[in-house]
This record gives sequence, structure tokens and C-alpha cells, in this order.
Amino acid sequence: MQAAGARRSCGGASGEPVGGDCALSSAFPPLLLSVLIAPHSATFVHVSAPSHSCCVFFPPPWRGKKKTKTRRPYSTWRLLSNLCYHHKHCLGVSRPPHPCIVVPGPSAPAPAPAMSARNAAAGGGDRAGGEPAEDVLVEEKQSSSVSLSSLMTPSSVAGMSLSMEMPRKRKGSIDNQDSKSVSILDADMDDDQNGSDGDDQHVKIKCFREPHSQIEKRRRDKMNNLIDKLSAMIPTCNPMSRKLDKLTVLRMAVQHLKSLKGSGSSFSEANYKPSFLPDEELKHLVLKAADGFLFVVGCDRGKIVFVSESVTKILNYSRAELIGQSLFDYIHPKDMGKVKEQLSASELYPRERLIDAKTGLQVQADLPVGASRLCPGARRSFFCRMKYNKISVKVEEKESQGNTSKKKESQKYCTVHCTGYMRSWPTSQMGADGEGEGDKQDSSHFSCLVAMGRVHSHSSPQVNGEVRVKPTEFVTRYAMDGKFTFVDQRATTILGYLPQELLGTSCYEYFHQDDLPHLADRHRKVLRSKEKIETNCYKFKTKYGSFVTLQSQWFSFVNPWTKEVEYIVSTNTVISHDHSRTGRSGNKSEQSSNAKASEDCKKSLPIIPGISTTPGAMIYAGSIGTQIANELLDFNRMNSSPSSGNVSPFSLPQDKSPHTHNPISNNVPNGETSDMEIPGKSSSEDEPQGAAFSGGESLMGENSQLDLDSVVGPGLSSLSNDEAAMAVIMSLLETDTNLGEAVDFEEMHWSL
Amino acid sequence: EDVAVISFSKATSREAARKRRRVESDVFGDLSRLLPLQPSIRTHLDKPSVIRLTLSYIQFDIYMYLRTLEGFLMVLSTEGDMIFLSDNVTKYMGLTQTELMGHNIFEYTHPCDHEEIRHNLRLTAEQVWCGEKRDFVIRIKSALTHRGRSANLKSATWKVLHCQGRVKVCMSPSSISCLLLTCRPLPLSHTLLSTHTFTSQHSMDMKFTYCDQRLISLLGYTPEELVGRSLYDFCHTLDYNCLSKNHLNLCLKSQSVSGQYRMLVRGGGYVWVESHSAVIPSVKSSRSRPITHQPLCILSVTYVLRCVSSAFLRESHCRDLKLPRFSKSITDF
Repeated sequence: MQAAGARRSCGGASGEPVGGDCALSSAFPPLLLSVLIAPHSATFVHVSAPSHSCCVFFPPPWRGKKKTKTRRPYSTWRLLSNLCYHHKHCLGVSRPPHPCIVVPGPSAPAPAPAMSARNAAAGGGDRAGGEPAEDVLVEEKQSSSVSLSSLMTPSSVAGMSLSMEMPRKRKGSIDNQDSKSVSILDADMDDDQNGSDGDDQHVKIKCFREPHSQIEKRRRDKMNNLIDKLSAMIPTCNPMSRKLDKLTVLRMAVQHLKSLKGSGSSFSEANYKPSFLPDEELKHLVLKAADGFLFVVGCDRGKIVFVSESVTKILNYSRAELIGQSLFDYIHPKDMGKVKEQLSASELYPRERLIDAKTGLQVQADLPVGASRLCPGARRSFFCRMKYNKISVKVEEKESQGNTSKKKESQKYCTVHCTGYMRSWPTSQMGADGEGEGDKQDSSHFSCLVAMGRVHSHSSPQVNGEVRVKPTEFVTRYAMDGKFTFVDQRATTILGYLPQELLGTSCYEYFHQDDLPHLADRHRKVLRSKEKIETNCYKFKTKYGSFVTLQSQWFSFVNPWTKEVEYIVSTNTVISHDHSRTGRSGNKSEQSSNAKASEDCKKSLPIIPGISTTPGAMIYAGSIGTQIANELLDFNRMNSSPSSGNVSPFSLPQDKSPHTHNPISNNVPNGETSDMEIPGKSSSEDEPQGAAFSGGESLMGENSQLDLDSVVGPGLSSLSNDEAAMAVIMSLLETDTNLGEAVDFEEMHWSL
Repeated sequence: EDVAVISFSKATSREAARKRRRVESDVFGDLSRLLPLQPSIRTHLDKPSVIRLTLSYIQFDIYMYLRTLEGFLMVLSTEGDMIFLSDNVTKYMGLTQTELMGHNIFEYTHPCDHEEIRHNLRLTAEQVWCGEKRDFVIRIKSALTHRGRSANLKSATWKVLHCQGRVKVCMSPSSISCLLLTCRPLPLSHTLLSTHTFTSQHSMDMKFTYCDQRLISLLGYTPEELVGRSLYDFCHTLDYNCLSKNHLNLCLKSQSVSGQYRMLVRGGGYVWVESHSAVIPSVKSSRSRPITHQPLCILSVTYVLRCVSSAFLRESHCRDLKLPRFSKSITDF
């Protein structure tokens, strides 16, 4: 009740011009003043806590001039308007205001008891029982201030003077507060200094204690080295062949830099933030490195407010074409919802969750409801497809054929990874741009998404991947035992089977009996080799009972963790289509040799385990694969230590398991023939991979397909196996998983 | 008496107003000095235009570029010297631009990653000409503490950075070729999960151990169908390369970005996805002997780049899942 009254009177006060300090003070009974003071003092005890729906903030003049009485008119006015704001919000919200607002009462001026503002108001009301009602108060205030002050009751005067003195009485605590914050700042600066000190320390990071002279010498050498580099970079140093002394080089460097900066047009000498590169150049570099473009999109309608020039290279639209347009016009229809969801700033989606990467738990946002989305700075990361402008192509077509009907050809899209953050500007300031005032929101803030759209290097693999495969080829994947786990759609046109018909069945069911020994042999080989294995030509039974001659390239994909074969990838090339069961037309020589081979193999058929013991009996072909797979597993079990079932990278090198007979391969299997390249992966990209992992592989020990010795990193070659394994564990543990709150590695004090 | 008080306070308020104005104009002066403008132009600016220009400057300044990047910029010479670093490197490494620039990257990276870095630095003339792209993951020393303060380098931890970029010829005095890279930490911690992402956990061999319910609406699988199965069962064969690289990065460096690969949809067909993953160390064993401390699982956030129509998914639920695999249990007789 009292609070409501206070709100009213405040509303009046903020609306009216305030004549003078005394008049204003006199217009308020002590109860109000105490409330007025409350948020003020709250400022100093930092009640900008999240539970408050509003933050009481005072302009710097108040704080700066708190000692002098002269600030009062201005600041009191401020105070009033803030109070109104404060009250409006406090009262509008059902929960009580922050309990830490310090309210001085006349009876206990200092130290002030901690009370909620509302309690304080009520308390003040009790004290000021004899005061006129608030409605009266407002009217009085509107009349002459002089008469008002004369009407003041003694108690209100007392209250006023008390309140007036409040700033002074609290000065000590205020100063404390200030000095505290200053000291925090100091601490920060100290930290920074420490950081820079760390530079020298890092040199020693891995060294033991060394003689001082050694350290000094290294330092000198390094310095000289730098000076040499510097002199090499400065043109004026170059003509003089003799070596210059340090000082000269440095002077010349200064001279050179000055001349460079003099030529640069954008440079302003008083630039607050000296940087090594002009901003424009840096921006360009960022965009270039990111292969992306920067864009700013309004949240409400998706209007593109800004887009960087580099968009032309990526989407083939000019900057002018895009600015002012709706982003949604340039997004794949199916991705609209996705983007809208990211842009929507108003609602807190129930599905929104943050993830704590260290524990893997999803964290429910404990931000105040609605704030997490709205709050500027909220991060965004999403993928969407954006239109790629094909205009240039169409123009060419028009010129060559005069044909416009092709306009309907499929729109090309780029998959763009957008990372950025939300930001809001006051609309009044946005108005300067002359656009966007129409979409004024009630909050009078224009919120938008600032994001970098990146097109990743591997972003258009589907084009390469599917186009490059010849129509006479198809890809299949087998489990270790030869059962189909993946069948390319192209297989249907060649073999007649639908993929689902083949899945789960063993490939041996479809091989011609003559080819079984050879293929089983290759199967066995591929399981133990990291290399691609070529099969001879063989016959594969189609759905219609006829045979098609195929040649395949097999390789096994090994799970990097378990070192077990995950599957076998087979790239099958059609050699000839044969509709007669036995006829062999094309590739005579191949076929005949193949036939010979298979005849040879027929004799050696008993070699196949499981078949050998039962010659003549009809054996289910599918079991061959299972046999071979089991054979390998048994072999592994016997060869490696008991832990073979669950080999981890931490296990130390064991005796070389099955792959010893393939020591030549130096690379991760490139996997694909030249005409079947993996999307987005050029062969040169594979190499670093192979090399890179070699260091780790050497730690992991067994089954490495790499020739480790040739590529082991220098950092580890000197380490013993134990140390190396330890290093891996350490690196896994120490790696910061980029979490805010971390599971503490600090807790684990273990020395190296 | 009252009148005297009032006139006094009027005088003081006038004085106060003057001071306030002075402070204000000082602030404007500071503001205009911060703008990248010629001094001659700067002096002629009125207050509104200072605000206007400041705004446009703030709106589209370089920090915005770097901020949207969520990382820093690094230019590496072919010898591995860090020729240039954007000054927000401090935020990620806890070391300042000036401390780092001119140093060699090998001094700050994990020994096990050196070979990979070296490989990425090796440039042929042809690669320079084409502006070849680079994409790799490294571990770099970070002096940042958990609270975001800079600490001593001695207590540096390893931070995983995803480096992407291209080969470029620098136009500086002598034209040298260099690597232009953006280095970003994995955005896992602040990934805002949208309706088009799902999270999953895997054992270290990539078998599903947990899966988000959202998978049903995205790919059609129920979590139960996936748990216990390998991720590799659901991936397109031709993407094995990208996946094995991802897996190796996870095993060795504990974090990885998969790049785009195809995942099988329940009813058939594939969708393009991209996963960001991290190895989550088990927390419990940290107090026991550290040697027994092993990574607990892989956490993945997977973005579905292209959606499957919900009608198709609904239909697919009528069929049963047929994903044959050679299971170990058969052989363990």
C-alpha cells in the first residue's frame, strides 16, 4: 500500500521539472526519502544481481562528486527517475526485491540494517504515521516549493536532513567499495604482468636448471638472430653488405616503419589501438582465412543489414543485391525453420540447452527466463543452405542458345556454417542508417544476429563423390565375415538386387563356385592388410540367375581405437555383362588366366577351413566368410596379449601382430582409386593425416599401418614407451575441453 | 533564510551543470579520438556525428569479425614462425599478441602434433598458386586458468584448436608464402542446441552408449536402436576417410570436428551431418591412481545439415531396422 503510494508520487516527480533541492526534499516525507536512498546506496553495494529485474545504475557524476552537496539536485532527480523505474519493476514482479538493499532508518543511521526495499518502505510508513497521505503530497509538490517547505513538519525535516547526510555517513563504506574495485583492477593488471613474464619462463619450461652463462648465451643468440632477421627485412639495410650493429638496425627499423605508416592512408597517428595491421587489412585476412563472409541480420524479419564484400566470392551475389533483402529469400526452403529458430530472440525454446563438454551433461540454462536468448552476446552456431547465384551461367546460355527455358534448372545451394552472436542496438541509433525504423519493437531495441558464414573446404563433396564414380562401378561394404552391410544404389542396375535384398546376406552366396578359393584368399588377405587388395575377375550371380564379371578392390577399415576391422569396403568394376551362364566373351586373356587360376584353386579347395573336412558335401557358402573372420579373431587372440579384446591406445607396443608382412605401406590407405576420389579429400590432405598420427600410433603400438620409424615425431622418439604412453594420457587429461566450469584437473596433483 | 538556501543551491546546481557538461564533452573528445579518423576531420565533428560514427565503427569493426569467428587469426611462415596473430589470441591462449608474435609455433604446440604441423607447412609452388586449403587440429599451450585468468606458462594446459585456412602469398616486403589460419576452440561448450542437432555419447570405439530423443525426429531411430551399435554402421562407406580422421583426432587430441559426412536414415537414404566431438574424461577415477584414469566416452553434438521429411520418417517406423553386422558374440564361442 505504501509502496503503491510511493510509486505514484515518484511518477509525478519524474514527470515534473524539479525546482530545487530543498523543494524536492521537502516534497517527500522521510519514508520516501529513505526509499529513495535505498537504491542509491544499493548502487554501491552492487545490487546488480540477476534476481533483480532491473539494475539501478547511477551516472558517473553522482559517484564522482559524492562528497559535494552541489550534485544533489541533479542526482536527486536521477535518483527519482531511477526509483520510479526501480519500483515499477519491483512491484511488477511478484518476488521480493533483492534483500541486500541497504536502507538507513532515522533511528539507526549507521550501520544500516539490511532490509528489502519494500520492507523499508513499510517501516518508513510506520514512522511517518503523522504524514499527509500521498495524494496530498503530490499535489503539494506541484504547488510552490517555498510554501511547501514552510509546511513541512518537524519530523519530515529531521528525516530529510538525515537522508541528506546519508551519502556522507556511508562514505566510508563507499570508499571501501571503490578501493576494493580498484584493487581488483590492480590484481588484474598484475595478472597481465605475470602473463608477460611467462614469456621468458616458457623458454625454460622443459629445461632443468642450467648454468647461467648458457641461458645468457641462448638469450644473446636469440636476440642476434632477431636482429639479423630484422635487418634482412629492411630495404635500407640490404645494400650495405657489412653487418650493422644492433642500434643502427633498430634505428633503421624505426625509420622504415615511419615511412610505411606515412604511406598508409588509413593510418591515424593518435590511433588508440596500435595494431600491426590496419583494420581493413585484418578484416580482409579474417575473411580470407575463414573463407567466409560477415553478415548482420535483423532478428524480427530477417533483413540483411550488412554483408561483407566477400559474399560475392562465395554466393556469387553482389553486396548491393543482398543488403536490405530478407535473408529468408536466400535460404533453402527446408532450412527456414532452422534459421528462424536461431533468429528468434523472443522465446525461450524448451529445447534450448547448453552442454557441458566436460561432464557431457546438458545444462539447463539457469539464466533468468527469457534472458538467455535475448541477452546480447548469446552465441549462435548453425548450418544452413544458402542460394548460390547462377546468373553468370544463365547469361552464357542465353548468348549461346537464346534459350531461357533453362531458368527452371535446379537452384544450387551452398552449405554455410554460421557462427556468431546476438546483438542489439537501440533503435534510435539504428535510425541513422535510414532503415529499419519501421520494425520498432516495444523494447525499442533492434536485435540482430552478427555472424560469419563459412563455407568449409569439404562442403561440396556430394558433387564430386557421386559424379566421379563411373556408371560401371558400385561400392559395397562387407562386415568382417563378408556379409553385406552397405550396397550402393547403382548396384541395382548392375546386379538386379535391391540393396535391402543383399543386406545381411553373405557375399559368398553370390560368387561363382570357381572363384570361391581365390576370393576367400583375398578376403583373408584384406583383413590383415592395410593395403588395397585387388581381386582377379570373378563372377557374381545376378538376380536373374546370370553372372556378371566383376573386378574389385578391397580394403579394410580399422577402428582407430580398437584396432579391429570395422568393415571391408569394396569398389566393384563391371568387366563384362554376361547373360549366359558359362559364356566368356570379353577379356579373353584375363578370363582364361582367371579360369586357370580357379582351376588351380579347385584342387586346393580343401585349403579353405571348414570345407576341407567335408569334400563333396554341399556347404553353405556364407559360412566361408564367418570362418575367415573367426580365423582372424583367433589369430589375434593368440598373438596379442590377453587384452586384445579391448585394445586401447594406451596399451604398449606388443609384438607385431598380423600386419608384419606389409611393412611397406607408409600412408593411411588412400582408400580410393584415382577415378573414385573421396569427396573433399585430396590425396595431399591425406598425407599430413598419416604423418600426424604416426606419432600417436607409435604410442599405440600395435597394428599401425604406418611405417613408424620414418615419421615419428622428434619430440617423442627420445621417450621410452612408458613415457610416451604417459604423455598421451597427460595430453588427454590436460586438454582443456573448453568448458566454463571445469572438472578440476587441479585436483589431481601428479607429477610427471 | 529559506531563500538564501535556495539561491545558494541554485548557484551550486549551475556549477554542477557546468561540470557535468565539461565531463560530457571530455567523453566526446575521448570518443572521437578513438575513431580511426584524420585529426582534421575529427575536430570538426559535432556530438551526434561522433555518436553516429562511433556506432558504425563499433558495429562493423574488426572485433566483430574476430568475434564472429570465435577464434583468432594466425599467419604462419613456412618455418612455423607466427608472423602474425590477432590480438584476441589472449582470450584463447592467455598469452598476448606481443609475447607470441615472432615465436615459433613448435614451441607452443604439443610434441605429438609437430609432425602434422610440419606437414601442413610444407608447401609446393603449385599449392601456393592454388591457395590450397588447410584443415587440422592441434594442441596448443594455454596459460588460461579455469576462471579465465592468465596464469604462468609453467602451469600451461593443452588447448585443442581447430585450424582452418589456406595458403597465401604475403604481400609484405619480400613475397613469402605463408599459411593463413583461423584457430578456433571447439564450440562444444556453448553450442546452442537447436532442433536440428542431437547429442550422443559413444564408447571410445564409436559405439553409441547414449542418444538424444531428438534423433527420432531427425533420423528416425529410437535411442534404443542405436545404443550398442557402432557409428560406422550408420555412415556412408565413402566417408570412411573423414570419419577415421575424426576418430583418430579424438583418440589422440581428445577433440575433433568431423567435417561433413553422410548418415543413414532409418527408412533408407542418407543425410549430411557434421559432428563436433570431445572425449569426456571420467571424473570419478581422478582421485584414485591417475594411471587408471581413462577417457570415459566421446560426446558428440551432431548437426543435421539437410532434413528428412517427417512423413518419410513416420513411414519408416513401420519397417524394422535391418542393419546386419558381424557381431563378436558369434565368434566368442
